[in-house]
Amino acid sequence: MDFQVVVLAGGNSKSLTPLVSKDVPKPLLPVANHPVLYYVLHQLEESNLKDLIVVVEGEDAGLLVGAWISGTFVDRLHVEIAAVPEDIGTAGALRAISHYLTAKDILVVSGDLVSDVSPGAVAATHRRHDAVVTATLCCVPISGSSESGSSGGKDKTKKPGRYNIIGLDPRKQFLLHIATEIEKDTRLQKHLLHAVGQMEIRSDLMDAHMYAFKRSVLQEVLDRKDTFQSLKQDVVPYLVRSQLKSEAVLSGIRQAEEDGNEKVSFPNNQVMVSQILANASTPSFHELYSMDPDGSAQTRKTHKCCAYIASSSSYCVRLNSIQAFMDINRDVTGEADHLLSDNVIGPSPKLGTKTTVGPHCMLGEGSEMGDKCQVKRSVIGRHCRIGSHVKVVNSVVMNHVTIGDGCIIQGSVICSNVQLQERVVLKDCQVGAGFVVTAGSEYKGESLARKEK
Amino acid sequence: MQYDDKSRVEKAKKRAVVKQTEARNRVELFRHLPQYEHGTQLPDLETKFFELDPMHPAVYKVGLQYLSGDIRGGNARCIAMFQAFKEAIKDYSTPPEKTLIRDLTARISSYVSFLIECRPLSISMGNAIKFLKNRIAKLPLALSESEAKSTLMLDIDRFINEKIILSEKVIVKHAVTKIRDGDVLLTYGASSVVEMILLHAHELGKHFHVVVVDSRPKLEGQLLLRRLVRKGLSCTYTHVNAVSCIMQDVTRVFLGASSVLSNGTVYSRVGTACVAMVAHAFHVPVLVCCEAYKFHERVQLDSICFNELGNPDAISKVQGRKEINYLDGLVNQENLQLLNLIYDATPSDYVSMIITDYGMIPPTSVPVIVREYRRDHLWS
Repeated sequence: MDFQVVVLAGGNSKSLTPLVSKDVPKPLLPVANHPVLYYVLHQLEESNLKDLIVVVEGEDAGLLVGAWISGTFVDRLHVEIAAVPEDIGTAGALRAISHYLTAKDILVVSGDLVSDVSPGAVAATHRRHDAVVTATLCCVPISGSSESGSSGGKDKTKKPGRYNIIGLDPRKQFLLHIATEIEKDTRLQKHLLHAVGQMEIRSDLMDAHMYAFKRSVLQEVLDRKDTFQSLKQDVVPYLVRSQLKSEAVLSGIRQAEEDGNEKVSFPNNQVMVSQILANASTPSFHELYSMDPDGSAQTRKTHKCCAYIASSSSYCVRLNSIQAFMDINRDVTGEADHLLSDNVIGPSPKLGTKTTVGPHCMLGEGSEMGDKCQVKRSVIGRHCRIGSHVKVVNSVVMNHVTIGDGCIIQGSVICSNVQLQERVVLKDCQVGAGFVVTAGSEYKGESLARKEK
Repeated sequence: MQYDDKSRVEKAKKRAVVKQTEARNRVELFRHLPQYEHGTQLPDLETKFFELDPMHPAVYKVGLQYLSGDIRGGNARCIAMFQAFKEAIKDYSTPPEKTLIRDLTARISSYVSFLIECRPLSISMGNAIKFLKNRIAKLPLALSESEAKSTLMLDIDRFINEKIILSEKVIVKHAVTKIRDGDVLLTYGASSVVEMILLHAHELGKHFHVVVVDSRPKLEGQLLLRRLVRKGLSCTYTHVNAVSCIMQDVTRVFLGASSVLSNGTVYSRVGTACVAMVAHAFHVPVLVCCEAYKFHERVQLDSICFNELGNPDAISKVQGRKEINYLDGLVNQENLQLLNLIYDATPSDYVSMIITDYGMIPPTSVPVIVREYRRDHLWS
């Protein structure tokens, strides 16, 4: 269908540090025992999109990701890995792979997005309106579980310091304003408001980072504005702001493309044909704005920015903080378990006597648990050795972890190859890979990591 | 296909691309027409965007536009469909061991059945598709693939230009002779031909007044009104419930048509029959402007046996006005059936003259044109 898919998988992430390290780049961070990238790729595979470009920051991360992908999706997907230098931002990443992009439209998906929004729906909306950019909007997830408090135990009120402001037209089809994570004020475009008449401003929607772009326009914007680093913060708001005052070069390219394709054999009649087609549909505010007062020529160039609003029943969360990581783990094993395609309990967990495993838990294969353990709402990875009298509540334990007897782990993330000795109490902690927690220690709200050599 | 025949409906569903669920409360009299739950069609089709491999993206886009109501009007739908087919033919390549003629015809048929599922075809589209299939079948076998494709594309262009664009110009030329200074012209809905007639007459400097009659739920007259007022014509706007009040001042009525049938019946937007009958009662001449490619050899005596059912929610709700949606909780009740007809049939007694590109003819001459000229010009 003339769409190319680019998955921006990132690499290292500062907000997810101790979890992310050189051996485990962000796209391979396990959520419910599958790397985060798996969910995105699985969904694209379900929608019959088999040719993808995955962009990873950093050469080593690129190699690791590539190895994993070719292992898991051996024949089912055809993926090209592109490694780009670190810290150039999402727009920079697209600039770097710009010569690979040939299709008419590009679908850009963030690799840390866990959702069941169908990419086909976004693409269809994009094509139907002939838009330049289509953004996916979903309801803001309610973060934080009822049991664990926030790290540091600060305020109980869930007042987000940062807002997402989205402006939509009355029919909820076009995007008029987008400002993400702002703290104080935002400016609206007056001429936009004039042209539309009515704008609906919503703060309960967030940008899900699944965009559909028209390739020529995207490349044009990236070439001309080389200070743009991020798609979400720079490129998309720029396109939304300038939708009624499209720069002449943007539409110049569009016109040239269209004229070059058609054989202009009956020039006069082409005008009539387009007139008939234009008269047949209700004009959007773009067309109304671009017409002269007497309705003849199109003096002002406009382009359309559409929004696809995911239904409130679909699940859509981005993995960009530790809290989000915990939430996604909890949800994927719990409410959103349709995102997983295999069993909840691995094939051979060895459970001791009187060990209880609550609902919404996941145990990887080869894990062993001792006696009298309690596991509630947690995810335990593969080949873990858990001693007896251990209580794991609301936590994520990755692979090859050894937990001594009598430990209590609550609301924490424990990375691979960690060793917890006896009677360790961890509450709201993150333990980096390969760390050894000495016996009898108690940590609350801390981030423990092995020093990088 | 008659949709009250259960076995055929089941078979059609299995082949269907668009998953449709049938509406629940259906009027008994119109059970033979397809009626689907409108809310679920578009999202369903959208999620399948990447899975419809044999579908060409241009055809898919047009289907989506039909389904969502983005394109309305016989001429516009026909042109949009043909442009999509042109793209599809341009990108087409014959698979090995198959002949171009048969495979392309099969491909076009599959596209057409997809478009039918999105929205039932209008009669003009049906004639146009017959023309296209005829041209494909008549392609000489000696032609190479690229020559055949360019021939077909030229044929499609020629059809659009001769049958739609040029014939509209001829109709406009004939019709403006019937407009005199001081006339009050009434039109119903938004017909592309009537709009061109009015604009051309205005350019020629004639002084006349236009009454635009409109009806819910589509309110198509407003689009026409906006364009006329922009050009400087003096207009009056009213709804069809007031047509008998306003008809006293009217001198001529110009109507568009979706099709004219062989017994002179005009098949057009619902409400046209009403306007024509009121005009007849007031002795106002009714002129129907219709291109010849929209004529059909069928005979229809009423609006029931062949029609289209629209979205019933459109008549039970007023968009944007939540406070007057009195039927909100009642829609799914057993004893309420909503009927939203799209077309109706105006008997030929109420039509004074039909203006086509073959000239100005009485309604009884329509079968003559279908018989004499169709074979030569349309399908040659």
